[in-house]
Amino acid sequence: MPFFAGEIFVSEVYKKPVLDRTGEEIGKLKDIIVAAGEPFPAITTLVVAAGRETYLFPWDTVNLFNRRVITVNARIDDLRAAPVSSTDILICRDLLDKQIVDINGAKLVRVNDLELGDVKGRLCLVAADIGLRGLMRRLGVEKRGEKFFFLFKYKLPHKLISWHYVQTIEPKVRRLTLTVSGQKVSSMHPADLADIISEVSQKERTVIFGSLDVDTAAEALHELEPRVQVDIIDDMSKERASDILERMPPDEAADVLGDLPEAKAQELINLMEKEEAEDVQELMEHEEDTAGGLMTTEYLAFPPDMTVEEAIKELRLEAPDVETIYYLYIVDHEERLIGVLSLKHLILAMPQTLLSDIMITPAKTLPLDAEQKDVAEFISKYNLLAAPVVDEEMVMRGIVTVDDVLDFLLPTASRKKRRKR
Amino acid sequence: MFNKRKILVFLSVLGPGIITANVDNDAGGIATYSVAGAHFGYSLLWTLIPITVALIVVQEMVARMGVVTGKTLADLIRENFGVKATFFLMLSLLLADMGNTVAEFAGWASAMEIFGVSKYISVPIGAFAVWLLIVKGTYRFVERIFLIACTVFLTYAVSAYLVHPPWGQIMLSTVKPSFDFKPSYLLMLIGVVGTTIAPWMQFYLQSAVVEKNIKVENYNLSRMDVIVGCIMTDVIAFFIIVACAATMFVNGIHITDAKDAAVALAPLAGKHASILFAIGLANASLFAASILPLATAYYVCEGMGWESGVDKNFKTAPQFMWLYTGIIVVGALIILIPNAPLIPIMLISQVVNGVMLPFVLIFMLLLINNKDIMGEFTNSKTFDIIAWATVVIMVVLTLALVVSSFF
Repeated sequence: MPFFAGEIFVSEVYKKPVLDRTGEEIGKLKDIIVAAGEPFPAITTLVVAAGRETYLFPWDTVNLFNRRVITVNARIDDLRAAPVSSTDILICRDLLDKQIVDINGAKLVRVNDLELGDVKGRLCLVAADIGLRGLMRRLGVEKRGEKFFFLFKYKLPHKLISWHYVQTIEPKVRRLTLTVSGQKVSSMHPADLADIISEVSQKERTVIFGSLDVDTAAEALHELEPRVQVDIIDDMSKERASDILERMPPDEAADVLGDLPEAKAQELINLMEKEEAEDVQELMEHEEDTAGGLMTTEYLAFPPDMTVEEAIKELRLEAPDVETIYYLYIVDHEERLIGVLSLKHLILAMPQTLLSDIMITPAKTLPLDAEQKDVAEFISKYNLLAAPVVDEEMVMRGIVTVDDVLDFLLPTASRKKRRKR
Repeated sequence: MFNKRKILVFLSVLGPGIITANVDNDAGGIATYSVAGAHFGYSLLWTLIPITVALIVVQEMVARMGVVTGKTLADLIRENFGVKATFFLMLSLLLADMGNTVAEFAGWASAMEIFGVSKYISVPIGAFAVWLLIVKGTYRFVERIFLIACTVFLTYAVSAYLVHPPWGQIMLSTVKPSFDFKPSYLLMLIGVVGTTIAPWMQFYLQSAVVEKNIKVENYNLSRMDVIVGCIMTDVIAFFIIVACAATMFVNGIHITDAKDAAVALAPLAGKHASILFAIGLANASLFAASILPLATAYYVCEGMGWESGVDKNFKTAPQFMWLYTGIIVVGALIILIPNAPLIPIMLISQVVNGVMLPFVLIFMLLLINNKDIMGEFTNSKTFDIIAWATVVIMVVLTLALVVSSFF
């Protein structure tokens, strides 16, 4: 079984010497043959060039394969030259430098480099590098380029498109097409979907969004940049837009609506179901960067005189609709927060115990106008997954979850990378 | 009898070849031909026939590749010769074309100065006009404007007619090669031939053919387009040489550039000939000042794999549009800076062009003879010999021009 380490870029092994069992150089790695396979094509053969001759080494005769050394289990004296068959797919010849187009044929980028990686113990072609970094790696100046950009405080991002989203390959392709359509799209993670959607043209976005079911669309929409969100909402029918907004957590819907022109936002709110509309409307009244603007109004609230057993039953019913179930908030009949209970404590307690007996009181709370920075510090200081937000009368208004402030906590560069991909 | 439908199809294919060849007579080309006519009379006219043949041989191959593969030259180079070759080629040609664009704006400024317009007015207006054309225009509209610009070159024919040259003697000099071993004559000969083929032309022609989406069935019409364009270009060059030879050479007047030629024509051949000459120069310069940045934006984006095309806008092809805009803005600004080192800039761009030309032409020959790419449309054996010979001669003469520009 060949031994290979982690991820390898094709440019790092291309033209590297290939050694035989005794350490003698056979030739240079000229190309790599892959088998067409879903979703990641596996490497089957190495093509090694020595002078005018080419030698083929099946993958199971390879001993070591990494960016420093490639060895094969053969003796240089026993080699027999063999040509490449016309049906083989050679990744340097057939894939490197090819144009990548989206489903409508619009050019996106070229394949600057290819990434090989471990898929279930096989070395497979896993991604196409389409970024500046890949280009510089090909030119042999990746490290210097990184240093150069560092002078401008710019961290050179990796821009990779998973081979998942690239059409199945065949020999001598003219260009590669992204398969961001139909079933593949809906099975993608919303964040990945958002990455692709921000790459494609506006027209296609509308098409892609039209093909998604409301729930997937709702999740993907939130991951997009505000400018793109506005474009997409503008292109959709008002009914569909309001349906999608209803399915989004109220805080995220409020974010999206907040970026729309006021008249348009109001129109959409009016089309939403009353209950959701009220939540969203309330959230929109708060400044976007304060606890009030960041919070969601969906959380678990229980009265103090409930037993643990009842609470767990109730929890099962309500859990699907709320973002976070790890904290149960204990409120009195005027919705004032009196204590908090973690899911762990709830499950470990005896069934007949009253919530008031095991809750932690007083709960740590945030005021509505707490700034984003303070919210982040608060969550980090108390190691919370979510923090309750209350008004002056201690009435519970919502919760801010850790992912709402995560973007703020991440250094700017990595946030950009995630958005721009 | 002409078939009406055939003519219509031809007109629809027409464009890329004629436009590319005509831009060959840009500010620099007109200057070269003017000086050739003024200093050596009709004795260089004979070179125009071999030049035309060379131009046709090279341009035909590029158009053929565009029609057959549907890919542009930069696409093919990137896909077949890898990223390193492409990257350095693009980078050098970007620099060279920047310099060339400066030269075109200089030509435009000097032509407008003949009409008493300050360069501080003419250059910004000219730059804005060409920018607007591509950014707002569609491919069809832009191509029509370019074709109209091509017809403006006919002013040179009228100019030449107005000076009443001895047509009999001229025709004889055109078909009968003469030779002189004076160094100044040889230098001029190299100059005339060396300006004929530039790297950017190959990229532009193929990109235009691809953007026009010409089908293989119509390839013979596309070839006609190239041939007509090349002949037309050299006929214009012929008239420029004749106009200058019949006046300045006969009277022993020395000139250094195209503006001198236009000015010198006034007392010798009348105001009209002079004005027409200047209009031709203004048109040629501005025309080239639009095509050069366009060609550059095309090949850089194609090499990198970004969306490109005149039909696109800042949203659908941002890199393409910004490159185009950037080259025009920088090119025009350099002209407006007082005491900018124009001569060194143009010299460097000429050198880079000359050094890159062999690579581009040899890549082209390798690509066109690659069966995987061209199928049955590779060069025939005879044509291939002519093509290689042409390329070798052009490369030698272009490099000779580069070397001679240092003395």
